[in-house]
Amino acid sequence: MVEAKKNSRSKVKGVAFRVVKATVKAVLIYLLYFFLAPLLAPIFELVPGFMGTIETFVVVFIVLMVLGDLAAHTIFQYFLGMAMSLFVIAYLILSLGDGIISVSFENFTLTVNLTMFYTITVLLSLLGLARSVLQAINFMNERAESSIQP
Amino acid sequence: MKVPIRMLGIATFIFWVILAAFIASAAYSIKDLSFGFGAPQFTAAPNHELLFSLPLHIDNRGYYSLKAFNITTVFSDVEGAEISRASTFVPVIPHGENVTIFHNVTLSMDSLLEKVEQYLLNDNNLTVSVTAGLNFAELIPVQLSTNITYPWGAPFYNFMLEQPLYDLFNSTHGRATVPLSFENHAAFDFAGNIRVELYDSENSLLGESHAAFSVLRYSRYAGNLEFYVPLSIAPFLTARNGYLKVFFSTSLFEYGPLVIPYG
Repeated sequence: MVEAKKNSRSKVKGVAFRVVKATVKAVLIYLLYFFLAPLLAPIFELVPGFMGTIETFVVVFIVLMVLGDLAAHTIFQYFLGMAMSLFVIAYLILSLGDGIISVSFENFTLTVNLTMFYTITVLLSLLGLARSVLQAINFMNERAESSIQP
Repeated sequence: MKVPIRMLGIATFIFWVILAAFIASAAYSIKDLSFGFGAPQFTAAPNHELLFSLPLHIDNRGYYSLKAFNITTVFSDVEGAEISRASTFVPVIPHGENVTIFHNVTLSMDSLLEKVEQYLLNDNNLTVSVTAGLNFAELIPVQLSTNITYPWGAPFYNFMLEQPLYDLFNSTHGRATVPLSFENHAAFDFAGNIRVELYDSENSLLGESHAAFSVLRYSRYAGNLEFYVPLSIAPFLTARNGYLKVFFSTSLFEYGPLVIPYG
């Protein structure tokens, strides 16, 4: 009886810790965005509607990250990690296309070639995806090992 | 397996931080970049060429050097045919430096006048296609292109030779005085010589005259041409119509004949 009470208390503690951790991480990411956005404003202003898509990106990213933290110590944590990496790649492909942004203003045409930046970001996201896959495999492996143990 | 996964996580995180720092600093550097144009200058070059020099001021106060800066200008006439093309390339503009670059374009007056006589006598519009590019922060190539209409001011705008005025110069020669005027609408000073041949309606050459001139940009020139014709040429005093053949000779171009009827 006492053992069960202890278990439920530690479970509540664990969930509370995860919620606090997720909240702190979300706040930190939002603060980072809040302070970086004005610095990036000169670039954002060149592309109409870009600020809106960045906001959507940050919101989806934070939601996936919070869900991942809440689902810690389950296989879903790694699935959400993979989803986050895939979301970053998909967002980059959809928003940047071939990596060349061309903006026309009156008689001027500004072309910015972001191919290098685009490639680096996609590669880093792929690295994140690979990490999530390895973590999922490792998680399943550990589970299988613990169930085999006498 | 846990250690390699953790290492992979740490490495990914570090790369993301570096990338974020790079993006933020690059974006922040943009606001510390400034570009400006000085007043364009026109000078006469040898071989009947006009040198157009445009000073470009680049103040790079950002964190990164600008590499492979290049500017290309293409001058085209009203019909879209290319008149002149020029490029200026600067390998590096280091950060924290203020650089002035002179972009020089050579316009061949001979080729310009070959195509359209109108450039000599009438104001016109040239199309200038400008393309400027650079490698920002060594990673992001940026290019800006635009088309500008450049107003071409005619050096002999409103060129006029008025009706000849006849009088007797002496017992053997008569004199025909032809008032000459034009406005230099061009952005450059020039000097030269105008040779005019006076013909009657029978295509007989009555006389020839020269006028040396030196005219400042955006200013007017007025003078008289005097033709001394022997009175033995019978139709002189009765010639009330005919034509004038005009030949222009300057340090920038040679052009002629321009035929102007009178009477």
